Amino acid sequence: MGAFETSVKSTIARWFGIAAPNEPAKRLAAELAGTILAFEALRGTLAFEDEPSSFESALQATKEPA
Amino acid sequence: MAGLADLTLIQAADRVASGETTSLELLRACWANLDAVNPQVNAMIWQDREDAEVKARAADEAVRTKQRLGPLHGVPMAHKDMYYQAGKLSTCGSALRKDFRPAITATVIGRLSAAGAFTFGGLNMAEFAQNPTGHNKTFGDCHNPWNPPYITGGSSSGSGASVAARFNYMALGSDTGGSIRLPASACGVTGLKPTQTRVSRYGVMPLSFSHDNVGPVARTARDCARVLTAIAGHDPLDPTSAREPVPDYESFMDGDLRGLRIGVPAIGFLDGADAPVVAAMEAALLVLIGRGAVVTRFDLPLMDAIAAYGGIVSRAEAAPIHAEWMRSDPQAYGAHISGRMYPGYAIPAAYYIEALSRRGPVLRAFAAEVFAKADVLVTPTIRTCLPTLAETDIDRGPPGTETKFMAVSANTRPFNYLGLPAISVPCGFDPNGCPIGLQIAGRPFGEGRILKVAGAYQSDTDWHWAKPPMVRTAA
Repeated sequence: MGAFETSVKSTIARWFGIAAPNEPAKRLAAELAGTILAFEALRGTLAFEDEPSSFESALQATKEPA
Repeated sequence: MAGLADLTLIQAADRVASGETTSLELLRACWANLDAVNPQVNAMIWQDREDAEVKARAADEAVRTKQRLGPLHGVPMAHKDMYYQAGKLSTCGSALRKDFRPAITATVIGRLSAAGAFTFGGLNMAEFAQNPTGHNKTFGDCHNPWNPPYITGGSSSGSGASVAARFNYMALGSDTGGSIRLPASACGVTGLKPTQTRVSRYGVMPLSFSHDNVGPVARTARDCARVLTAIAGHDPLDPTSAREPVPDYESFMDGDLRGLRIGVPAIGFLDGADAPVVAAMEAALLVLIGRGAVVTRFDLPLMDAIAAYGGIVSRAEAAPIHAEWMRSDPQAYGAHISGRMYPGYAIPAAYYIEALSRRGPVLRAFAAEVFAKADVLVTPTIRTCLPTLAETDIDRGPPGTETKFMAVSANTRPFNYLGLPAISVPCGFDPNGCPIGLQIAGRPFGEGRILKVAGAYQSDTDWHWAKPPMVRTAA
């Protein structure tokens, strides 16, 4: 098990008290490295929006014209 | 030979209301197929026939006394087993809830009842609605009625299979990453995922609060329109449900596609697509062009952001719902369910909040660019020929099985993060005799338009009338 997988496993155990239940869990936990890379690639591409209802307002703003 | 169970939902409702047939006759026709075919497909996991007969007789008595119960008068239904009905079983497809009887009734069940429908049982589903294939460790895998070794699609596996196998005129499914559209596509029926917030989720088992949707799986787009008209609209018990007015969705279905702009994603949705699937989509586009639509091909923006943020939201929201059971009884889950949930506990809260906070801006930017060029988007619902249950069995398969498993929902997931409505209609068959689905997506609250396109397509094609060979034999 690599350092990243060990770190994920210990984080989940410490914060949630949950152990990896099976081999697929270990394999899929390792794939979080790809998630981090995907987030890294998005940095600087979109502004943070601090209006909490922004998704609902976006649904209204972009809805099918009557 | 066509029988009562072959009617569409609308034909069934209208014939009962007019006295041409009875609700009890519909029920018994559905049960004849159920008894003959369910042992092979495993779409239904519990039934309450006694209660259903009481309700069917009440619907028939109402006809005799000149009362119309509503637009779904006397139609028997069964739903994905996660729609709560007070005092009735609701297993959510899991051993952890095999005896669960909720104290409340889902708003959508109440609305279907108010429209005259009733339920006769619970349908198989992925455990806690968490796979796109139809595997189920506790109740057994659901099998495709067109070719049983192949997947039904999930997570509303029993919804797709039961409508295809004529046990049922309509089944509610739920769609968090494609779970209505995938079984509709795989089983050769029609499935509608409404706009996020269009339909109440009160009394419906949650998976991912931000991405969960309730919608119909039925024989035709017009059937879906009738159901959506009955179930959509604000619900005080679900404060997240939209206050947007609910039109009569059937009124949109005039078949007129003149000037309709269809966008076809040039890349992304066809990456790794199988030739029979692409050919079926292209043939479907020609049908729509024949009705006056214009097709444009272009790249969709922001697909990397949609994939990254959408994946974070789904996983982070599912994890805490199951934390207690993941601590106390993790082996009660199928390995592919607990295995996929496990990484969700390691996602930083800041990532989750970032993904949620950017959902609005991403939708605005996507809509501004895409809907300037097109009124609807068309893609294959599933971009490959259907895999088998064995090929996508993470619990028993080799490392790497996850890739084939996740590919099933690659074309449906983006519309959940975006919150857009999308429908899947049958558009052909692959070389294994399994159905192929066409996905049509539109603007927020644009269900009327996508139903119109789907309805026009079904006016000129007959894929939606096709009946699985095992059901023909049973009849």
